[in-house]
Amino acid sequence: MAPQGYPHTLALRDGTKIQIAILKQEEGKALHAFYRALPEEDRMVLKEDVRLAAWSERFLAKVAEGSIICLVATVEGEVVAEGSLYRTFHGWTRHVGEVRLTVGPAWRRKGLGRALATGLVKIATDLGIEKIIARVVENQVAAFHIFQRLGFMKEAVLHRHVTDLSGTKRDLLILANDVSQIWSTMEAMVMDFEPGGGA
Amino acid sequence: MAKTEIRVGGLGGQGVILNASIIGKAASIYEGKHATLIQAFGPEARGSACSAQVTISTEDIAYPYVKHPDVLVLMSQDAYNQFAPSLKPGGLVLFEEELVTLDGRLPEGARAIGIPATRFAEELGRRLVLNIVMVGFFAGVTGLLSFESVQKAVKDSVPKGTEDLNMRALEKGFEYGREAAATK
Repeated sequence: MAPQGYPHTLALRDGTKIQIAILKQEEGKALHAFYRALPEEDRMVLKEDVRLAAWSERFLAKVAEGSIICLVATVEGEVVAEGSLYRTFHGWTRHVGEVRLTVGPAWRRKGLGRALATGLVKIATDLGIEKIIARVVENQVAAFHIFQRLGFMKEAVLHRHVTDLSGTKRDLLILANDVSQIWSTMEAMVMDFEPGGGA
Repeated sequence: MAKTEIRVGGLGGQGVILNASIIGKAASIYEGKHATLIQAFGPEARGSACSAQVTISTEDIAYPYVKHPDVLVLMSQDAYNQFAPSLKPGGLVLFEEELVTLDGRLPEGARAIGIPATRFAEELGRRLVLNIVMVGFFAGVTGLLSFESVQKAVKDSVPKGTEDLNMRALEKGFEYGREAAATK
């Protein structure tokens, strides 16, 4: 089922109006252009080489099959930020989703990353995903705070796991949010046992 | 005096009591009617028979027990087997069509409308919202409660953070119920 509430317009802290929408296949080129324009230091923290056409094709194929749900933020048709929820339908981590965010350099510190992350967490919980993870490098302080405010906690640290442009090794933090708790109260409500009874 | 007697039946863990309490809440708090709720549980927490009796009336309700309901809302075969014969002649049965098979035990003139509520709940993402789909279905078919009233009652009843999915479950059941009432 398609996530509800999209597209919608978001007013940033500086008053700029941005459209947030679920990525459509025909918007793949605009998304790829956004990634190709990212400075190298930003591309270094991404898991794949997003300049490649093959990356774009793989990404869109996963969007089509539903294993990636991608929110794009656009201004006059130009993608300025992207956030995705990655999930799997098979295997022992099928209850887990991963959120990845990329905000264009000119659009940072305006509340856009937080808006995308909030939307993706909501989509994840609506889909029944029970645990959401996010990976941030130790010096990505803004991203860390975005996820922390949404209830993510540091679950693991991979020491000296990332090499930045200058060759410096940095720690990679795995943040996690157990959103199954949101539904545990509902589970208790539908138990249908006698209050104070033996059950 | 407009009085409607309802029995909701199913299995522990399906949210029978929550379903009934939302119907009662929508009627009493958001539509200014009178409503009573009686609930009955089996000894086990999950899987045992569970039922609730709701009476909605525009006037005071002197006797809250429901012996011959106008409407049955059924979510399990056991509940159907047990309660179907008690339905008023010409009464209405709303049932989970993938969990309940109808037979000849319904009284004469009974009208029965089914919904694949569990499947809808699973398609929405959580089987847990089955009972909310059934609330919407009840409101959509019977027209006894406005969508706005049940919407407020659901929002008021479900835990924070679960409202959106519950609202979609309610809408799904309501729309299905309205269409089914018009065509069946």
